[in-house]
Amino acid sequence: MAKLDPSAQKKSDHTANYWLGGLTAVFFSLTIFFAFNSKPHVAAQPEIPLVDKKFLDTSPWRQTYADLVKAKEDLSDYDCYACHDKAKPPRIRYDTNQKIIIPKEHANIEMSHGTHERNNICYNCHNEQNLNTLQVRDGNVVKFDNIPQLCGSCHGPTLRDWEAGAHGRTSGYWDRQLGDINRLSCANCHNPHAPDIPTREAAPGPHYLHEASSHEPSKSHR
Amino acid sequence: MSRRSFLRGCAAFGGVTALAASLAPLRELGDYTNTEQFLQKYYKELTPSDMTKVITRIEGEVERQYGIRPHVRDLKPMDGVEFVYALNLTRCIGCRKCVHACVKENNQSRSPEIQYIRVLKMPHGSMDVEKGNHNYDSKQVPEKGFFYMPIQCQQCKNPPCVKVCPVNATWQEKDGITVIDYDWCIGCRYCEAACPYWARRFNFTKPQIPKDKINPDMSYLGNRPRKQGVMEKCHFCIQRTRVGKYPACLEACPVGARKFGNILDPNSEVSYILREKRVFIQLKEEMGTSPRFFYYFDK
Repeated sequence: MAKLDPSAQKKSDHTANYWLGGLTAVFFSLTIFFAFNSKPHVAAQPEIPLVDKKFLDTSPWRQTYADLVKAKEDLSDYDCYACHDKAKPPRIRYDTNQKIIIPKEHANIEMSHGTHERNNICYNCHNEQNLNTLQVRDGNVVKFDNIPQLCGSCHGPTLRDWEAGAHGRTSGYWDRQLGDINRLSCANCHNPHAPDIPTREAAPGPHYLHEASSHEPSKSHR
Repeated sequence: MSRRSFLRGCAAFGGVTALAASLAPLRELGDYTNTEQFLQKYYKELTPSDMTKVITRIEGEVERQYGIRPHVRDLKPMDGVEFVYALNLTRCIGCRKCVHACVKENNQSRSPEIQYIRVLKMPHGSMDVEKGNHNYDSKQVPEKGFFYMPIQCQQCKNPPCVKVCPVNATWQEKDGITVIDYDWCIGCRYCEAACPYWARRFNFTKPQIPKDKINPDMSYLGNRPRKQGVMEKCHFCIQRTRVGKYPACLEACPVGARKFGNILDPNSEVSYILREKRVFIQLKEEMGTSPRFFYYFDK
């Protein structure tokens, strides 16, 4: 075994001290660094506005006579004989293009039923003899709160679907033993004088965490 | 004290402090998990009394975070019930009301936004989903020349997402709903990759839900608030459908395009539709997933 050289020993002591000093400094600076950065860094996210309340509304689009009766609302508007004469059913007038002329008292009515608005004879549905009721073409009188029977007299398959629950809006219980199904009637969605469902505004689409990547063809999220 | 021992002391102190500081972020972990949840058993092994404890813990967590005491339940599948969804492509107008009714019902994160339903706007004359666009921004819908196809979890009979889950955190229940245990999910996102319908969503960040927007009617496998780092998806509104109610998206649909029910009941709406209607597709039928979500036409 070689005898240790005292000067070499001293030299290695010095090196160790420098190392230790350096490490201490590194650790201290790390301590300070961690102390100030211990909170996890949260990347800034784009602000996404809450969706407008109108898109969360699930109430029916329209109210029917039956709804008004149920809500005990004012039904005086539905008394035709407040203005009309019972003995004289009102005459329907057409212009030269066979388009119906809507009298100014009924200006709120938009007539657009059937292809090319061909269902333009009021008495196809309204009862000529008693304007407060409706009438199926076979002569059966239908009350205002029983519209499906009237509509179904022409739209048979749709009535069949509706009765089976396959057409129209439902809510409540799918399990009839646990609760009732609430089934909306024809006029809750369709305006009888213009039954096409009108177009409406679409609710906002998806927002992404980051800008949409190139394979998503969009500029719409904003 | 020698210079050497002083320096040693300093180094040791510095090292310990640095170690402690470097572990400091673990303090935040309390937001994501706690001992009780960490030691929780697998859902299917939980006894009813275990479940009661778990539910109490969840209710407490929700109350701490959102200041509202929820009503959490663990609803089991009903006997003799298999759920099926049918969607009428003739009727759908693409208004996206179902999307937002779902977000509201199921306590999805509002920011970043998580939506279970995507509505594809598709050109007439094609069923090719590649041609669909779910980012449409129409002022008025429906647009001429397009039809709209909402896509959500199809609740497959042969679900690829369940097969790939390495920890069995997602499985198919008896009534056909594929569920996720948010406490068991490890967030590997294999299921998201396996799903051919892009039905699964991942919580990349902590979900943000305004306190007044929380739906307190919750279920364990359904709409209880999720954590960062777990998957979620449509579960046919388990908290509603397992007590006999319709899902939220169905009730929100303004044109009645969505139909839901028990396929094992011959008098249900869906049985009628599958029997009588022109049921067009199970989406991506060729994948062999056999969805319980059917698209049909009126005319």
